Amino acid sequence: MRIATAKETYIADEGLLTTRTQRAWMIVLALVLVLAPFVLNAYWLYLACLVAINVASATGLNILTGYTGLVSLGQAAFMAVGAYAVAFLDGHLGTPFLLNIFAAGLVAAAVGVLVGVPSLRVKGLYLAIATIAASFILHFVFTNWVSVTGGMSGVNVAPARLFGIELASPFALYFVIVPITALMVLAAANLFRTRIGRAFIAIRDRDISAEVLGIPLLQYKLMSFALSSFYAGVAGGMWAYFFRVVTPESFPFATSIFFLAAVIVGGLGTILGPILGAAFMTLVPELLKYVVEWLGPVFPNAGAALSPVRTIVFGALIIFFLVFEPQGLAEIVRRIRRFFHLWPFKT
Amino acid sequence: MTDLNRRHVLGLAAAGLASTVFSPLSAFADEKELVIGGSIPLTGVFAFAGVAIEAGISDFVKITNEAGGVAGRKLRLAYEDTAYKVDQSVAVFNKLTTQNDIHLYYGDSTGFAKTINEELNRRGSILMAGASFGSELNNPEKYPFQFMAGPDYVEMIAILLEYIAKQQKGAKIVFVNSDTEFGRDPIEASVKRAKEMGLEVVGQIVTPPTAVDVSTEILKLRRANPDFTIFHGYVLAPLPEFLSQAKQLGLKSRFMGTFWSMDNSLWANVGAPADGYMGVMPYRYYYDTAPDAPILEKIRKLRPTYQATGYMQGFLTAMLMTEAAKRTLDAGKDLTAKNLKAALNTIKDFDTGGIIGVPISIPGNSVPVGRIYSYSAADKQMKPASDWISLKK
Repeated sequence: MRIATAKETYIADEGLLTTRTQRAWMIVLALVLVLAPFVLNAYWLYLACLVAINVASATGLNILTGYTGLVSLGQAAFMAVGAYAVAFLDGHLGTPFLLNIFAAGLVAAAVGVLVGVPSLRVKGLYLAIATIAASFILHFVFTNWVSVTGGMSGVNVAPARLFGIELASPFALYFVIVPITALMVLAAANLFRTRIGRAFIAIRDRDISAEVLGIPLLQYKLMSFALSSFYAGVAGGMWAYFFRVVTPESFPFATSIFFLAAVIVGGLGTILGPILGAAFMTLVPELLKYVVEWLGPVFPNAGAALSPVRTIVFGALIIFFLVFEPQGLAEIVRRIRRFFHLWPFKT
Repeated sequence: MTDLNRRHVLGLAAAGLASTVFSPLSAFADEKELVIGGSIPLTGVFAFAGVAIEAGISDFVKITNEAGGVAGRKLRLAYEDTAYKVDQSVAVFNKLTTQNDIHLYYGDSTGFAKTINEELNRRGSILMAGASFGSELNNPEKYPFQFMAGPDYVEMIAILLEYIAKQQKGAKIVFVNSDTEFGRDPIEASVKRAKEMGLEVVGQIVTPPTAVDVSTEILKLRRANPDFTIFHGYVLAPLPEFLSQAKQLGLKSRFMGTFWSMDNSLWANVGAPADGYMGVMPYRYYYDTAPDAPILEKIRKLRPTYQATGYMQGFLTAMLMTEAAKRTLDAGKDLTAKNLKAALNTIKDFDTGGIIGVPISIPGNSVPVGRIYSYSAADKQMKPASDWISLKK
């Protein structure tokens, strides 16, 4: 049971981690993340990096859609902008890895601001369509601006180098990708303790009221787009170093839907939501493959026969969560925490 | 009775997951085995091909093992579904190579082939082929450990052009391609080649990959009035729409396509408008009863119903990579990517058991051989329209 957590100052009350138990668990999580690469095999390390990249992008989308209430289906296109920015900077200017990743975020943010302009006039489904249109325009640019993007065949990216060490394997990249994602998630968590974050939430809840309260909608909506695309750009940049080749087909439109689904399944408007959602959406199809594998001895030719069933099960799982836990996976975690807060008095 | 509640289910799931993550995965490292790994699309847009490819490779593995295996080793296929997505293909690659000692690998797309290339070069232990005939991959310097079991897309169209040039000197051609990497791949090089061969390229039409309404494109085609229209970058849609509208307008053009649009069962469902559709096919069809094709007889015994073109592609790919492994092992060399590729390149005038109607050689990364087939709606079959055409470099 949680006791002795009374706060004496507002600052303490607003802290990210308010109890000793939370801090202890956070240390455990940090230790697990540090030790994981030494325990996991290449396959799981690859997935861990992929989850981290997807978490970064989903967290960005959550700032825009979950916290500011602006639906976007352009996240994949912003990631592509980041990935191409990295490919260009790395290939043409040879600038250092971390700078490229940061620059990728900035370039994507600039594009995000442009794409966000219609958000001042349209909301909801209309804005979703506007972002879809923007992503098709960007796709056209990726395909036809051959001198920068390499056209349809795309561009190769040399392995990232940090302090003279080549980061080519998932093992090496893990130590860069996971900390960057952790920093980004931490920044997002802190964002909503500031005026800017609260302004986003006010806009989401009722934009007219927010304006009456003195929040300039133009500035804050564009800021939300910029931040969200910055996250996507950095995620895209990490993606480029991870897969080492970027083509217009690397980030299909379905990827944008993937991120929106991740944020919704995880829990809109929570920090934990996109983390759980991205992990769920990335890992569940892989875990379902193990089910197919386990059925191998019983079911002849399980791989070919059961793979379509696996897709159906994945879809059904998403529907199941949306119906039975509309507030997302984050709510399940919150419920588990509440159980321990009250234990043993109410279970 | 045990009361199964949410906590139990979660606990069981966690235990299952933990056993999966931490279990020693290299349990299969059997010295007497030769494993073909595969990132195969069994779901998603390319599933129709993936299912056939898997069947083809599996049957080759079965036939080979029944005949005693490869240099004393049993052949085994370890594959997983990729849904035709590059990140999943890479995940499957990482997983299978962790679980098995893999030296031969089947990849599912050009995107995957390009993405995994650096890793193949780094490992230096795997020879890869796959479903892609992307011309970019037909470059032994850039893709030293990959190959394709057929002509690349540029070579496919070159085979079509050779046929056209023989049929009609100075024929007028229009290229129609989808706006995808797959669709755009051979167009530039093919336009150049057509001009060199004295053929006249009177138009180029690009359509969205999922185009259904092609009425404006048909009008463009009518204005250009070509003798031959070459499609590339499609599987089926919107080709039937093109064909039926062109027939209604009375266009004289003959329509042609490349490998992935040449499956017999696809056209059988289209019916009359498909009559006369032609294309390049590197392999014989399932029903071909040519006397020099004993392997097709065997396949028909194994599977009594029609097998799609992807089946032959998978079968032949497995045959060629296994032949490379056999030659490497017979020479007493290690199964490194370099040795495997060198062994593959020694394949000269090789008899494929009739899957390809002429003996083949693989001097580089492709097998530049094909034959023109034409669809007969009356017989519901693709029929040979030319002899085998081998491209000379």
